[in-house]
Amino acid sequence: MNGAQAMVECLKAEGVTKIFGIPGVAIAPFYEALYENRQQIEHVLVRQEQAAGHAASGYARITRKPAVCVTSSGPGATNLITALATANADSIPLIAITGQVDSSLLGHDVFQEADMRGATESFVKYSYLVKNVNDIPRIFREAFHVASTGRTGPVLIDIPCDVQRMELSKAFSYPEEIRMRGYKPSVMGNGQQMTKVIAAINRAKRPLICAGGGVILGNGEEVIRAFCEKNRIPLVSTMMGIGTVAKAHPLYFGMLGNNGKPYANKAVANADLLMIVGARVADRAVPKPEKLERRLTVIHIDIDSAEIGKMLGPTIPLVGDIRHIFGALLDAQIHVDTKEWLEELENFKHTTVDHRVFSDRLVNPMTLVQTLSEKMDDDAVYVADVGQNQLWSADNYVMKNGRFLTTGGMGTMGYSIPAAIGAKLAEPSRQVVAVCGDGAFQMSMFELATIAVNKVAVKILVLRNEYLGLVREHQEKVYEGHYSGVQLYAYPHFDKLAGAYDMAYFHSDSNDTLEEELDRFLACPKAAIMVCDIDSANNTK
Amino acid sequence: MKGIFSVLVENKDGVLSQIAGLFSRRGFNIDSLAVGETDKHDISSMTIVSTADQRTIDQIEKHLNKKLDVIKVRRLEEAKAVSLEMMLIKVSYTAQTRSSLIELCSVMGAKIMHISAKSIMIEIHNTPDVVREFLELLKSFGILEVQRTGTISMAKG
Repeated sequence: MNGAQAMVECLKAEGVTKIFGIPGVAIAPFYEALYENRQQIEHVLVRQEQAAGHAASGYARITRKPAVCVTSSGPGATNLITALATANADSIPLIAITGQVDSSLLGHDVFQEADMRGATESFVKYSYLVKNVNDIPRIFREAFHVASTGRTGPVLIDIPCDVQRMELSKAFSYPEEIRMRGYKPSVMGNGQQMTKVIAAINRAKRPLICAGGGVILGNGEEVIRAFCEKNRIPLVSTMMGIGTVAKAHPLYFGMLGNNGKPYANKAVANADLLMIVGARVADRAVPKPEKLERRLTVIHIDIDSAEIGKMLGPTIPLVGDIRHIFGALLDAQIHVDTKEWLEELENFKHTTVDHRVFSDRLVNPMTLVQTLSEKMDDDAVYVADVGQNQLWSADNYVMKNGRFLTTGGMGTMGYSIPAAIGAKLAEPSRQVVAVCGDGAFQMSMFELATIAVNKVAVKILVLRNEYLGLVREHQEKVYEGHYSGVQLYAYPHFDKLAGAYDMAYFHSDSNDTLEEELDRFLACPKAAIMVCDIDSANNTK
Repeated sequence: MKGIFSVLVENKDGVLSQIAGLFSRRGFNIDSLAVGETDKHDISSMTIVSTADQRTIDQIEKHLNKKLDVIKVRRLEEAKAVSLEMMLIKVSYTAQTRSSLIELCSVMGAKIMHISAKSIMIEIHNTPDVVREFLELLKSFGILEVQRTGTISMAKG
């Protein structure tokens, strides 16, 4: 067995059945081994390597397991870097396999050589350059373990072409045991800290939970929901935490932060205990963390100890896995009376007046997101891109029992279409809608070919305002309306593009036709593009 | 404040650049960094000294611990550790300054390693503070070249 065949055996041992990538000479031995195993592992050919990473991200988020993307060396591999950085910022477990020039040529600047370990150092959780073919089983075992445990994230395996061709000196066996003396994520949560947490909750009069993306990554939605319901503790979420509970849940008070609900921020401002769970306390969610720290008791729970104390010094830090911690908290003796606090929060919610004014021309983006998400299946996947569309989506999305996928960390435009492809291929029976602006769409529109060839029945909803809208909005407010490099004009002709890729096409340019067109768009059994024209004067704030 | 970290790492390629990269990327300051193999050939020991506020020092420790190739991080307290640094320094001399230079070396416990017609090469190993003081004292003679190892530290007891 050669190295390439061993790589495929490792993927099979990990239960991988689908991978995303683009081949090249430096990864050709692996593709040969893949050819021999095409019944077991399906390769989805994307059209640009960044999309392989984003598609794997969408796939990983739905399967809740590490997903695999593959590229060749040099430019193929460097094209993947933005997707790795995106996955790293959002803690998505990926295995990125990149071909490399022959090991004897490493460091000689030969054709299509790029130092991928060096280039991705700050964008991956860990990386390997495979120099000995016999290390392949161990490295793959470790890579999947590292990607999917602790704070999940992308792992790079860079593998020279000659190592893929070399024969293993012993029979292939996939190791069961992992021996990494430098890697032992804390899972259980320190007992003393747990006692302090329980005491702090019992002391609180106005407790509030802030759920971040880590809740979903740690498969903690159910346990945190159960904890909140048992103790009647309200919660807000960050953008990445949307989906922890349904929007209609009586204990949910919306997304906090700059782009969040005013009543969610008011809840934070009036709480006496804030439990931050699986959130980075990033600038968009908590603009002035030092103020919080002075005013109230903060419990910060995260699997990654380095996140705790990075932005704010919590009163009680607690490192561990959310399911373990909230499992224990669920059994703990907690008595808090939140009746008045909940009434107060309800009052905030109902008396909040949205002062934003939207154009009555064309389609109202808030109505669009609300109507779309209400009409979508209960368990549908909504993939929001980046820009105004993301903020309108996060603000108005009606979460039922589905998933809200977006890149809140890196904010990579063009994420939604490939991620939606990955999500749909993970669970073909689930409805998947990518929502993007006309700017983001054009950063991934080459993937329409992947959709067409693989008959991926995703829906793409484009909010067209002919601008890079969020930058336009910024220039309007900060640079006195000096619109610089933001106008997209009326291209492309989306109807022709849909036709070119055998996709159905729908269009709405008014609130009056919106519902009807959305119904047709969602009912369409095949891949479809729907364009909604939005007045570029509409802002997010 | 000063943070002294004694870090055991996997002795393999790329680890030093990972650690150095961590400091530069997160804007942590490195006062000194010394690396060498331990008695086990697959483990290297690093002593990293950094000056920062308390929160940053805590963050450095956490981020070092987060690195998969880092086996163990110990934060050493200055008072409870022995810290040493070695320096080679080349100083110019004249007939007038030569004897006071030799006297200074003898007072500070520094060794003269080589003498040429115009310069003296001196070696000193001592606590980082003494090495720094010695360097200051030599400035008036005319320093030609300096090589320092950086601090290595070990906890007492």
